[in-house]
Amino acid sequence: MISLWRIFWLESVSLLRSKTVAVLLAASAAWMFAFPHFAAGDGTAEGAREMYLHYSLGGVFAILLVSLLASATGAIASERAAKRLQLTVVRPVSLFAVAWGKAAAHVAVGALTLAFAAVVALAHLGAGGKCSHVLKPVMESEREEAARMYDAYMADPETPEAVKQAKKSVVLRLLAQRAGDHYQTIAAGSSAHWRFDGADGVSNASVRLRFSTMFDSRQDVAGEFTFGGAKGIVSNQTQAVIEVPLKGAAGGGVLEFSNLGANALMLRPRKDIGVMVPADGFPANLLRSYLTMVSILALAVSFGIFLGAALSRPVAIFTAMTVLALGEMSPGVVDQYPDQLETDRRDRIGLAITRFTERMTRPVSSASPLERLSRDECVEWGSLLKVAVCDLVLLPAILAALSALAVSRRDY
Amino acid sequence: MSDAIIELSGVVKIFRDFWLRPTVKAVDGLDLEVRRGEVFGLLGPNGSGKSTTIKMILGLLAPTAGSVKMFGKSPKSKESRSRLGYLPELSYLHPFLTARETLRYYAGLCSLDRKTAGERASQLLEMVGLSGVADRRVGGFSKGMSRRVALASALVGKPELLVLDEPTSGLDPISTREVKLLVKALAAKGMTVLVTSHLLADAEDICDRIMILNHGKSVAGGRISELGSSLEEFFLAKVGSGDDFALADFLA
Repeated sequence: MISLWRIFWLESVSLLRSKTVAVLLAASAAWMFAFPHFAAGDGTAEGAREMYLHYSLGGVFAILLVSLLASATGAIASERAAKRLQLTVVRPVSLFAVAWGKAAAHVAVGALTLAFAAVVALAHLGAGGKCSHVLKPVMESEREEAARMYDAYMADPETPEAVKQAKKSVVLRLLAQRAGDHYQTIAAGSSAHWRFDGADGVSNASVRLRFSTMFDSRQDVAGEFTFGGAKGIVSNQTQAVIEVPLKGAAGGGVLEFSNLGANALMLRPRKDIGVMVPADGFPANLLRSYLTMVSILALAVSFGIFLGAALSRPVAIFTAMTVLALGEMSPGVVDQYPDQLETDRRDRIGLAITRFTERMTRPVSSASPLERLSRDECVEWGSLLKVAVCDLVLLPAILAALSALAVSRRDY
Repeated sequence: MSDAIIELSGVVKIFRDFWLRPTVKAVDGLDLEVRRGEVFGLLGPNGSGKSTTIKMILGLLAPTAGSVKMFGKSPKSKESRSRLGYLPELSYLHPFLTARETLRYYAGLCSLDRKTAGERASQLLEMVGLSGVADRRVGGFSKGMSRRVALASALVGKPELLVLDEPTSGLDPISTREVKLLVKALAAKGMTVLVTSHLLADAEDICDRIMILNHGKSVAGGRISELGSSLEEFFLAKVGSGDDFALADFLA
């Protein structure tokens, strides 16, 4: 324990005295204070707030992610290159503690800088503001829907022969991917309903949704929501995110929408509709968002330490930045890449690599604390706990063990 | 119980390139034993395999064949390492730490608590004559001062075995004499010392027993008192006079 503390202390002193911390704080301060002066929102106070939260804290997070990842690759690799690491290795110290202590120091620096940015954001926006739990409609899972559609698809004589010959797992994956974008149409004068769990007896709930039409142009939306005893009137345009307050106590579990306008409306139930149930305030949500971001930083830092333990510094930095770029791009590529291009061998290889990276970086990319924070959606404690256990404890511990193994296998 | 602190048996070290093709046989079938309480000198010309042997003893390099034991155990075991102090050929200090912080850091790695580490650091700084600059960063130290800090940090865990790789390298004559006196004093207290040196006079002054390496093999060894000639003459007889260098031809 003493040696773990000593390694942590040495790395922290190194980061402090090499002015890394000062540079990070200065860059973060410059970004946090400068951003509101050149950011142009949509003209509304809500839009400006959303933009500030997303991009100011997001900018600091991006600075920290890149710089701490790069710095972490040198924590072991540079020490080894300067031959200082051998003086630590010949002491009765666990190599796991060496990797863990170095990672902890980098995470502490990241946490400190991010805390500074969060305090600036809190001072800028004030402690007022709400945050809501977002309830999604109860539906079959995307996998279940894909399996059901697969059977229907294969039984359909019009399904192309090439699709019937394709591997079942590939078709199921594509169908599951598309299930999230499955549209539901509500004809003019008709109604639709969705079941929600967990909103019984809640007052001050609201519905947040976004309608589309079959055309890209905006059209009028007019309708009415009922949710148990609560009611809300919708009057807006398609493509806009609409929040409809429900007056009265919600209950009954079924949300019904009656389309009173002249146009047919469409929405994706899995993505476009949610019942917002008031939770706690903005500061608490900011704290949860902050802790989620620190957890993500911890995973990135541990990965950097591991790369530095296994590779030389230049190769480790190159690999880290490549994985970061691929990890950033891969969800979009996996989501957007047209599947018919998979018939080309090169595309198949590229997509396989991208999908693999997306799967591996999902613990980082799937948590979206800033997106939720900026939309006043609650970063749930359960989600935070999951991210913390995975990104702050479990994966860093595995990476520290791998780093220790890499250090022990090296010649000095 | 065996009196051997370090035991090497049939040790071979072959360095390989990226494709695992052998490039250099740095150590070739070396047997070596360092006994408790003695000062053992590992001597040899450049490239003879001294540093490679030291690194295998410390567990920093894995031997290709043969066995290496320190205190009867693997050199990588925590128990062995807790009884070891090591001074490398160059000091390799953390430039942003002060001399006191450096010693406290290494004391912490030897599991000394905060108070004991502080006391031990002060004692050692006093011993190596750096008390006056204890709170200056070692990045600004001269080579000799850095060497003293490195020597103090090797001693911080009160080791039973001290491995010194070229301990007088970069030191002025007065400091060299002090280091030699220190090694003698430590040996007198029962500490085992393994030392490598290019300076035969230094080795002659402090070593009880020596081994001469050339091309990775042991070519001679024994007690200094039993050599029958000066160490320099003995060394040149076993290793050669360095005719390969052809200095005289070059100067002519």
